[in-house]
Amino acid sequence: MPAQSRKAKPEKKSGKSSKSKPEADAVEAKAATNGEAPTAEPVPKAAPAKRRSTAEKMAEGQRDISVSEFFAKNRHLLGFDNPRKALLTTVKEAVDNSLDACEEAGILPEIWVHLEQTGPTRFKIGIQDNGPGIVKKQIPLIFGKLLYGSKFHRLRMSRGQQGIGISAAGMYGVLTTGKPVKIISKIGKKHPAHYYEIQINTKTNDPEILNGKGEGVDIASGAKMQADLEKHKVEWVAVNDAGEELESGTRVTIELEAIYKRGRGSIDEYLEQTAIANPHVRIHFKDSENNERLFERSATTLPPEPKEIKPHPYGIELGRLIAMLKDTRETTLSAFLSSSFSRVSSGAAKKICDAAKVSTRMSPSKAGRHEAEELFKALQEAKLPPPATDCISPIGEELLLKGLHQVVPGEFYAAATRPPAVYRGNPFQIEAALAFGGSPAAQRVSLDALTELLSQSDARTLRQFLTSNFAGLGSDAADKIIAEAEFGARQSPGKLKKDEIAKLHEAMRSVNLDDGQTMNVLRYANRVPLQFQLSACAITQTIMQTNWRSYGITQSRNALPSGPISLMVHIASVWVPFTSESKEAVASYPEIQKEIRLAIQTVGRKLGMFLRRRLEVKAEGERRNVFLRYLGEVADAVSDIRDAEDQRDELYNQLLEVAKKKTAQADAKYDNRGKKIEDADDLENDKSVLIIPREEPAAAK
Amino acid sequence: MAKKPKKNAGEKKAAKPTDLSPRDKKTLGSLVTVAVDVVEAAQKKRDPQLAIPLRALSNVKFNKTKRMIEMGSAKNARQLFNLNQAKSYMQSLLVAKGCKQLIYDNKNCSLRSLYYMLKHTIAGTKEETFAGQEECDPIIEDMEVTLNALREELHLFAENRGNIAGPIVVTDKGFDIDCARMGSAGYSIPSIMEPDRIQFKKCTADFVLHVEKGTVWNRFNEDEFWKKHNCLITHGMGQPPRGVRRMLYRLNNELKLPVYCLLDNDPWGYYIYSVIKQGSINLAFESTRMAVPDAKFIGIRSMDVDRYQLSDSVKIKLNDTDIKRANQVRNYPWFKDKKPWQKEVETMLANGIKLEVEALTSKSLSFVTETYVPARLKDKDWLD
Repeated sequence: MPAQSRKAKPEKKSGKSSKSKPEADAVEAKAATNGEAPTAEPVPKAAPAKRRSTAEKMAEGQRDISVSEFFAKNRHLLGFDNPRKALLTTVKEAVDNSLDACEEAGILPEIWVHLEQTGPTRFKIGIQDNGPGIVKKQIPLIFGKLLYGSKFHRLRMSRGQQGIGISAAGMYGVLTTGKPVKIISKIGKKHPAHYYEIQINTKTNDPEILNGKGEGVDIASGAKMQADLEKHKVEWVAVNDAGEELESGTRVTIELEAIYKRGRGSIDEYLEQTAIANPHVRIHFKDSENNERLFERSATTLPPEPKEIKPHPYGIELGRLIAMLKDTRETTLSAFLSSSFSRVSSGAAKKICDAAKVSTRMSPSKAGRHEAEELFKALQEAKLPPPATDCISPIGEELLLKGLHQVVPGEFYAAATRPPAVYRGNPFQIEAALAFGGSPAAQRVSLDALTELLSQSDARTLRQFLTSNFAGLGSDAADKIIAEAEFGARQSPGKLKKDEIAKLHEAMRSVNLDDGQTMNVLRYANRVPLQFQLSACAITQTIMQTNWRSYGITQSRNALPSGPISLMVHIASVWVPFTSESKEAVASYPEIQKEIRLAIQTVGRKLGMFLRRRLEVKAEGERRNVFLRYLGEVADAVSDIRDAEDQRDELYNQLLEVAKKKTAQADAKYDNRGKKIEDADDLENDKSVLIIPREEPAAAK
Repeated sequence: MAKKPKKNAGEKKAAKPTDLSPRDKKTLGSLVTVAVDVVEAAQKKRDPQLAIPLRALSNVKFNKTKRMIEMGSAKNARQLFNLNQAKSYMQSLLVAKGCKQLIYDNKNCSLRSLYYMLKHTIAGTKEETFAGQEECDPIIEDMEVTLNALREELHLFAENRGNIAGPIVVTDKGFDIDCARMGSAGYSIPSIMEPDRIQFKKCTADFVLHVEKGTVWNRFNEDEFWKKHNCLITHGMGQPPRGVRRMLYRLNNELKLPVYCLLDNDPWGYYIYSVIKQGSINLAFESTRMAVPDAKFIGIRSMDVDRYQLSDSVKIKLNDTDIKRANQVRNYPWFKDKKPWQKEVETMLANGIKLEVEALTSKSLSFVTETYVPARLKDKDWLD
């Protein structure tokens, strides 16, 4: 994991304002109180300011808050609200960072995730990558200091755009278990690996190195490596599956208080979904029971490297503009505008300055609040071309299909990548991919896995257990299963006996879940799966607002459509607008919703064609069957009436020929009528569509 | 090739059933023609089809001089290679096959037996040739019109429905049956009423009173109405079956007995009268053998509500179906030009009620036999 991308915390490290995040508010608020008399300013984390107190007295309680302290107390902001989510967030942060690092270095990512249970609610999680590694002096800073990183200052598509960073996960681990974060990183074949045990000092937001007398230890490369690793009790995957020695890479091990459960919102789900959107990645996952699972890559090419861009004036905020004015090295406003922003030519800069009634040759640092405001207004009103869109690297239709097919079983796949578009000056691009058919998750689960899921579940009823553990299983379908297995409505999942579990398993397999199934929505932002806040997300809302019935899918009004469908929607952007800092749902900008709608309509249409054609083929077959079915009877009757049983077969064959001629004509008619058949042909040749031939369960009919 | 089947058919006709009646020979001939048509079509790689005369209002004509309904010439093609018709085509040929069997065996069988005879699972499927008798009966009627053969010529009969009592002696299967000595149940009118099977030996009655259903008929029989008025009483359990209609026709035609009908005062009663009088739309081809154009409708009349001050409790409100049907009936060409009938229907619609014959029971149990019918007959108060 490279230094540059280890962390992503936008803005405020340099004390500049902008983004209205709670933590930012808190810090700013604190800063504000330094100069002025304290008012009734709500300061979330400050010492409680008592009323009827003097300003001097109050000043005694007013002091600096370290970001680390703030986050330590507000751990839910970072995705550590409960032990289960803490585990997921830790894995997620580490894996996201690893992927960013590998891609930036141009290495085809291979990741190992090892989960180990060390106590009833304690887990040790190790995540290793084959990335470029981190240079020695950066390691402690990256893992032991909040808001330290590279992604924050640049406008470029990456997973960690406002990320909290692995250090928060490390801090959570230290807080809950007292165990330090262990990092080993190697930057090349000849270089020694460095091993650190770090814990974050929450007061100062600084890393403290615990091993090697505060210096860490070096692990020799080459033959001696194994011995050194053992000596320091460091875990390290030295060779990959192909038997090649890992030249570089980073492994971070964090022990934390956590709960490991499968089902929705689990590590398994996260890795599965990550594999879909990142078909170039190979992930090894070993869970706490030593079950190993490999998510194999289906592509061997890295996505193109996204370009970094300058901010577009339409997407800027006043606070950010003021900060930029102060920071710039340019000496004139005109030069500042054209060099700091994308799509602002010197001509446009002059027009903007004119509109703001400031001189083009004014020094940016001298611009006061008033000038900045005028300038801001002028920037918003200026006629500018939209930002360049080459800064986004979409997954691409081909890889979407591959990724989805690799993970989600089905019969039909379609993908669509929309051309880039812009919201509020930020370029973004929407992709959608759809998988139809295949057995749902509930029918793929093995008896052992089901037994385990049941034992882990804290659901109060079986129904709740089913709906919360199996993606795409609605409550209707759950009721069907329960009825089939002849359980009571309020059956508790924890108390099932062995034969009852077997019965449940049987019921889950035998019940037709296609109808009661709701669409399984997979949401992604910059290739990272979004696993929570499904209904708050613009993606889900747009799917619900889309009319799926015209594609032959059942859908209740304003609900997700039903059927064995998985729909993945990916928004790639230099700045994905999340509804909150927890990065769980995409905000509903009209521009974004429009693009999402167009993308899902494209794949929906193709699914519609596929389904319609399947119906037609079925109808055609039935038509033929109807004739064939009655021919024998007709031949019998006619021969009997004529007392010519010996000619029965001859007549039958003749009728058969007429039947063939007739249905052939019907086929031809379809061809000539054109449109429908043409559609179907297109489907075959469409590169954005993948059709898996179905294995007919014998021609029974 | 085209000759072969014909030759074959000829051979067999001579070979197999030697003692066929001329009537059966004719029927068998038309059955074979249907089969040969299929073979010829198949040989020419054409779509075999049956031309079935259309049995609907659109294909009947009211013959004013004969005063009966006649069938038009419109035909429907029933094709084997048409998704919607394939099954009924197959069923039509099955019926033909069944009838051929009956002729060979010289046996008669009921509609229901034929249905069971032909019902089997189609080879290689789970589908039955006929899902129910209601699927089979219309096909038989189709074949009757297609082959231009009567049901009895196909050796088929329906369940007996309807009875007769009164001073008449009929010969049935060589037995003389005196219908005046049939006790409380009367003589059950057979489904096949052809002169070659049933002959009228002796009759002293003056007229025929046909009532709608058995319950009313029982009243007349118990009150010995036929004895007092020297008549025959018949009923047909609602819409009279062909046997009863044929009986009425023959009584009217051969014995010149006038026929009077006592039916419910509702659209269905009107239509029963219409069927007896000028034939049915569905079986228009049978009209010449069954219609009794001189039949009279003596009641129940719409005006009886006022005439006999019937109590409210015996009135039945017309429902939407009744009203719809009443308007259909009054617009039939044979009702359209009859002002008294138009008035009758209008009165019923205006009253908004219908009356069953039993409504008269509210006056007294035997009111209908002792007062109502004698009064109508005496005053010649009827609708024509």
